[in-house]
Amino acid sequence: MYEMLLYLDGGNMINFKINGKDVVAQKGETILQVARKEGIYIPTMCYLEKTTPIGSCRLCVVEVEGYDAPILSCQSKPTDGIEVQTDSDELFKHRKNIMELYNVNHPLECGVCDKSGACDLQNKTLEFGLSCQSFTAKEQNRPKKDWGRIQYDESLCILCEKCVSTCNEAVGDDAIELHFGGYSSSIVPKGSETLDCTYCGECISVCPVGALISKDFKYTANAWELQKIPASCSHCSAGCEISYEVKHTSTEDQTQKIYRVTNDYEENTVCGAGRFGFDFGNSETKGDFSEAVEKLRNAKSIVFNSNITNEEAKILSEVSKKTGAKLVNREALNFQNFLKAFAVNAGESLYNGTLEDVADSNQVVVIGTKISTDNPAVRYALTQAFKRNRAFISYLHPVYDSLLQNTIRQFINYEVGTEEGVVALLVDTILENSELDLDIGYLSGETNVGEEELEQIAKISKRATKKTLVVGADLIAHPKAENIAKFLGLVQRTALWKVLIVPPETNSLGVAEICELSDEAVSPSVGYNMKADFVISALGGDFSVPALNQQEGTFVNLNREVVKTHVAVPFEGRNLNELANKVLGSDVENTIDYTKELFGTHFDDLEIFHLETEITSPKAEVSEVEDLPTFDGTLIYLSNPHLQFSPFTEKAISSEAPLLGSEQFAVAGKLSDGDEVEFEILGEKFRRKFQIDRNLRGVIALNPIFDMGLSAYSLSSNYRFQKAKIEKVK
Amino acid sequence: MKELEIRGSQNYVPVEIEDYPTSGWDKFTQVVKRTLKGELFVGLWVVFREMVKFDIHTLQYPEEVLPVSPRYRAVHKLLLLLESGSERCIGCGLCEKICIADCIRMDTKVDENSRKEVTEYSINLGRCIFCGYCAEVCPELAIVHGPRYENVSEQRAHFALKDDMLTPIDMLKAQKEYPGFGALSPNADELVKKTPLAY
Ligand code: SF4
Ligand code: SF4
Ligand code: SF4
Ligand code: SF4
Ligand code: SF4
Ligand code: FES
Repeated sequence: MYEMLLYLDGGNMINFKINGKDVVAQKGETILQVARKEGIYIPTMCYLEKTTPIGSCRLCVVEVEGYDAPILSCQSKPTDGIEVQTDSDELFKHRKNIMELYNVNHPLECGVCDKSGACDLQNKTLEFGLSCQSFTAKEQNRPKKDWGRIQYDESLCILCEKCVSTCNEAVGDDAIELHFGGYSSSIVPKGSETLDCTYCGECISVCPVGALISKDFKYTANAWELQKIPASCSHCSAGCEISYEVKHTSTEDQTQKIYRVTNDYEENTVCGAGRFGFDFGNSETKGDFSEAVEKLRNAKSIVFNSNITNEEAKILSEVSKKTGAKLVNREALNFQNFLKAFAVNAGESLYNGTLEDVADSNQVVVIGTKISTDNPAVRYALTQAFKRNRAFISYLHPVYDSLLQNTIRQFINYEVGTEEGVVALLVDTILENSELDLDIGYLSGETNVGEEELEQIAKISKRATKKTLVVGADLIAHPKAENIAKFLGLVQRTALWKVLIVPPETNSLGVAEICELSDEAVSPSVGYNMKADFVISALGGDFSVPALNQQEGTFVNLNREVVKTHVAVPFEGRNLNELANKVLGSDVENTIDYTKELFGTHFDDLEIFHLETEITSPKAEVSEVEDLPTFDGTLIYLSNPHLQFSPFTEKAISSEAPLLGSEQFAVAGKLSDGDEVEFEILGEKFRRKFQIDRNLRGVIALNPIFDMGLSAYSLSSNYRFQKAKIEKVK
Repeated sequence: MKELEIRGSQNYVPVEIEDYPTSGWDKFTQVVKRTLKGELFVGLWVVFREMVKFDIHTLQYPEEVLPVSPRYRAVHKLLLLLESGSERCIGCGLCEKICIADCIRMDTKVDENSRKEVTEYSINLGRCIFCGYCAEVCPELAIVHGPRYENVSEQRAHFALKDDMLTPIDMLKAQKEYPGFGALSPNADELVKKTPLAY
């Protein structure tokens, strides 16, 4: 009945008509996409821009002159010269019928439903003027399902399958599916009794009705009462665009409170830390202002991390210039040095890849990062690359990541510590006619990377048209980072590959661009959200300052874009700018007055823009890869679980922090599931529960650091594989 | 003279008033008469007489209050379901949204039975303009305007809280179905379109 219009190749533009209006489609665009671009309304219920058309609602039907049956505009691509009609009595009746069917036995509970006021079913029922119901079906018992952070209410579900396709095509968890059963169809967790996923909450976000909701949010506020505060998520370097939705705390308490986080789900996908980890505002106002000013003025070094806005980083620079204090941020310094070395051979001061490049690629190589938890946005881009373009994704890491099992086509397991050799081999592989002088036999042996595996990458690379190399934190904090970066620079220079170096912390790139950094702290030191002699922090410490959801400012995200964030919840105390004013003897009213100094535009007028990259003449200098180190004994990888990044996410979301190891690891270490263990890494003592993770392989255990308070930041600036002696606590 | 229609239970007595003079001469004679007649003393006498008689016709407020029409919009009440005694308010927030003076606020949460529970409901009576929109919009006939029109407070902003407005459970029997503003019209049944049921 519904016919697909075949796309006939006739150049890149297709001219046709919608409702008599001349329109042009790009190659590959659907009728619906063209109509939306032209501002012509076609109702839809199951359409999602970021996934392939689902085609379950049939509301998007349009008539095409010369065709008997109407077609689905969300799936059909136009051909030259067709005349499309988006509205007619016939179509209206058809659509109204569909809406009537959607309403059969739909509970009349808009009064309490969380979706009310923003519900597609409600809106379209009104739009089509449905005032009565002429169909019936026997009602059945459809109890609500408890899925951890999520609640699924089957009776409200209209089976549009947006959640399924988002989870599968945009997120990559593939955790839910449609259970067929005619009138009793429903959404069920895939292959298990209850939902076990990364809890990104994206399914909640795309659900057009109140069938999937966040349990924490349930029944606490109505859609129309919440004020949306545009912001950038502050948990990782993707800096995803989100809205904090705020309202007064209660009838008694006027203070604004964040009730939930929403995103533009048509285009973007945010992770669970962004969606659920919003309650990290600082409510303390500890410390004496003049004491803090004195400490800052007399500090010999200022220790800070990259969970900071550009403006704050600028303020710290100004203070350091005035007082001569050294700015200490090891993680950003590593990143700065990495970029510097990268630029030598790349001929550009910055890497050139973006998330979009990853999503559009048909070959991606990921190296030196547990990307699914280090930067979920990159993982979502990988998912899209695989789903849309069938991209060939190679994942090079010492630890297998089961979250990527549906996405990657090749897992290359290299030896811990041999990253320099792996990168050399990889670069040699993907550069056609590379002139690198490598001892391939030795490197291959030491790194454990097989030549056939590399050959496969090379083979695909010959065919692939869009290729991206994703580089992560393990390489940036590596002892041989400089040479690694130089090798990588060669890749960008070829212009055949894009390179995306994922900044390890939220604003590492911004800090690296703004600050002059050094390595070791000397006393007296002041820490800004870091351990030091005097701690200025949004997480306890000696003097309280606002957290990132209580501040205005900008970040530089991994796409090299300057993005803005706004105040969602109030802070009663003083901030860094006020402290700095006293030290600098200046009178800058707001932190965001520094935006103009940084980017030449006032904060309020700032549009999202890209950092400029400086072009230099590229060199081709790499040092010889010397003897690769070997790591024996018990190895631990510093890696946070999904939903967690830092002490801030820990404050907002409670989750356990076990030491995760494979069965093999348990046997080797004579440990069993649930054992209490103790170990020391980089001077930090850990005491954790050991847990066997059946998805893990090999003999490297995963140790989270997000729950280590401010020490988490110093831990994360080190090479992430560490030796440790694990002892059972009796 | 026009007949006054007397409603309510009060015992009103119409006062007789002479017709007004129209011609110039009549007006003149009226002035002269009034000047010489000493009518002032008549008035004073009447006041004195009524004072000692104690036969008073004004309303004895606050012991006595005028009965108000059911459509009068005074201080709100929150009603209970007559059958079960549960609260009618489901916490839909429509009253809060429609309130033109923005003076309603409520707190809701999930209760143990996974239902929406209204934990607090307040109206700032100092801001309320008693427009009746809240009662009109309420889908549950939960919020209504009661007949109590007296407000005493030390400051302009004063609040009626949920406990003040909610029918106490032991008074459930005495709770009257509300015929006033926002209530169902007498022909509501005829207006409803029926949906077929499968069983
Ligand atoms: S899903 Fe929409 S239509 Fe259904 S009860 Fe909720 S708000 Fe109403
Ligand atoms: S929360 Fe995310 S991962 Fe889990 S089912 Fe929903 S979309 Fe999938
Ligand atoms: S749960 Fe929501 S998104 Fe998923 S099929 Fe049902 S209505 Fe659609
Ligand atoms: S009567 Fe009018 S002003 Fe008063 S609470 Fe109701 S809607 Fe608001
Ligand atoms: S409109 Fe009625 S049911 Fe809804 S919140 Fe107000 S009082 Fe409660
Ligand atoms: S939008 Fe085309 S079928 Fe739903």
